[in-house]
Amino acid sequence: MGIRVENISKRFGKVEVLRSVSLEFTEREFITLVGPSGCGKTTLLRILSGLELPDTGEIWHGDRPIGHLSPGARDIAMVFQSYALYPHMDVFHNIAYGLRVRGTPPEEIRRRVDEAARVLEITALLSRKPKELSGGQRQRVALGRAMVRKPWLFLLDEPLSNLDAKLRVTMRSELKRVHRALETTTVYVTHDQLEAMTMSDRIAVMDGGRVQQFATPEEIYGHPANLFVAGFVGSPPMNFIDGVTLVDGRLVAAGAQPLVLPVSTLERFGAAIGAGALVAGIRPQHIALHLAANAEGLAGEVQMVQLLGSEKLVEVDAGGRVLSVVVDAAVTVRSGQPAWLTFDAARLHLFNAATQANVLPSPGVHS
Amino acid sequence: MTPQARARARRWVGHGAAYVGLIAITLLICFPLMWALSTSLKPKAELSTAPTLVPHAPTLENYRHLITGKSQYFADGSTGYQPTTAPPQYFMQWFGNSVLVSVGSTLISIIISTLAAYSVTRFRYRWRMAVPYFSLLGYMVPSIILVFPLFMVMTRLGLTDSLWSLTLGYVSTTLPFCMWLLWAFFRGIPIELEEAALIDGASRLRVFWEIVLPSALPGIIAAAIFSLIVSWNDYLFARVFMNSVDHYPLTVGVMLFFEGVHVDWGLMMASAVLMTVPMAVLFMMLQRHLVAGFGAGAVKG
Repeated sequence: MGIRVENISKRFGKVEVLRSVSLEFTEREFITLVGPSGCGKTTLLRILSGLELPDTGEIWHGDRPIGHLSPGARDIAMVFQSYALYPHMDVFHNIAYGLRVRGTPPEEIRRRVDEAARVLEITALLSRKPKELSGGQRQRVALGRAMVRKPWLFLLDEPLSNLDAKLRVTMRSELKRVHRALETTTVYVTHDQLEAMTMSDRIAVMDGGRVQQFATPEEIYGHPANLFVAGFVGSPPMNFIDGVTLVDGRLVAAGAQPLVLPVSTLERFGAAIGAGALVAGIRPQHIALHLAANAEGLAGEVQMVQLLGSEKLVEVDAGGRVLSVVVDAAVTVRSGQPAWLTFDAARLHLFNAATQANVLPSPGVHS
Repeated sequence: MTPQARARARRWVGHGAAYVGLIAITLLICFPLMWALSTSLKPKAELSTAPTLVPHAPTLENYRHLITGKSQYFADGSTGYQPTTAPPQYFMQWFGNSVLVSVGSTLISIIISTLAAYSVTRFRYRWRMAVPYFSLLGYMVPSIILVFPLFMVMTRLGLTDSLWSLTLGYVSTTLPFCMWLLWAFFRGIPIELEEAALIDGASRLRVFWEIVLPSALPGIIAAAIFSLIVSWNDYLFARVFMNSVDHYPLTVGVMLFFEGVHVDWGLMMASAVLMTVPMAVLFMMLQRHLVAGFGAGAVKG
């Protein structure tokens, strides 16, 4: 049974946290709500959990409205950012609490806690108190507490943000593995777009209390619906060039020094760029850097070079606009050096400057 | 001497000086207690000789006298003197009164302040912040100012000379501070704990009982010890509210050992020791929680 979030609005005092949010997802999907702080993602999760009630709108589980049910009656599970382990109970009782409250027979509780502990590899920790556990272990216990009840929906509120970088990567695949094993529908909240990209079946990018785009990670990355999504997803962030118009069959950015975008063909854009000011966007990975003069290319000067490991991030000043370019770490490049840039036309995004929407048809829809 | 050895020597000297200072202060503080203990163990005859810290012929006569209530000195009537109030007979009664009043007022204070602190930290309503702040203000009023208005209230209620007047009187002084302490403590308990339990399916009452109260236990113990000590040690309220000798708590009752020119120091000191022991034992058993409780309140509050 799928879940349908229908026109949910919520305000806290004068602040509109959610503005008529609608989402629909199917059973077993791993959905991520991602966005900057204050975008409403956590509030939406809390409304799904029943800890907050929406001002308007309804939540449907299949054809059953659940928006009015208390958290306990929804039979869902939630993992909190702080893990919220009961400090006075040992790991076994922490995991068992939900079962005990629901009156599960003791031998059944024992069996299910043992099973969850085995899956999460925390069997040896069952008699410890939360304060005797490391961050990663607490995380597993919190996960175990959610799993053991076999809920129909998992809600995870930034569960990895309190872990150190290395452990975060491990727990990411761990979470993914647990999700594959249990096949429980999961809604995951994070502000980390990389986490969202790596884990989700579909991502809802949120900003200003609205869902900006709800699509697969590939679609979000390859065809961002608007300027916000384009800027939020991807690292290093996308380059934006504003004031772009079509002049004599070329894309030209207005300014003190007008700039002709180094794109070889405009065929792909069709009628979409008919009128109005545009913002062009291109990811640093989709710009080619030439160190020898290139007639097609946009001339500029290398300002700064940062080694990222297997790649280098090069900032090039082209006519007063600084564009970042990712090149292979093996490329030798120094600041102050002249450089020429060409864009991958197939990866160039164009946005309407007024509405901020992507003016190009989605490749999925187009083909 | 190598520099390391010198540094070590200096550290030893520093630590030694600190220990000497601390031991001196400890002795200074403990001396009255030790003197009371020593005096309580001396037979009556020894009290009029030159005082020594260690009794020559230690005896538990004084304690037996207090606990059994039998008159040690006047039972044979040989002196022809009969004390009018016969304080030792009432000692156990007073002890019982003190226990009843302290425990009763502490229970009432803790129940009310726990619920109030939970309400103030977890629910939103107008003027809710007035509760902790006004309660602190109430705590700042000295009991000497409160005692006469309270006495008039007790008279109206017809409670004077009843243990209820003391119980309620102590609640009025301990409740504000307990509330303040627990308010600071409850604020430190993350709300996610309760939310997690709600999602686990527990009712609000069950969450309070099984999650919130155990988490707040150190704070509750700290508040309870405070309340017990205040009511156990009170003299003022008991002196003003109570009339009958068999309704006195220990503090006021023991004062009856000062009878005109006759002061029975042995009994007096034995009572002092017996009064101190319950609180001292309680304190030692719970001091770990007490420190945790005040610490948590101070840091997170």
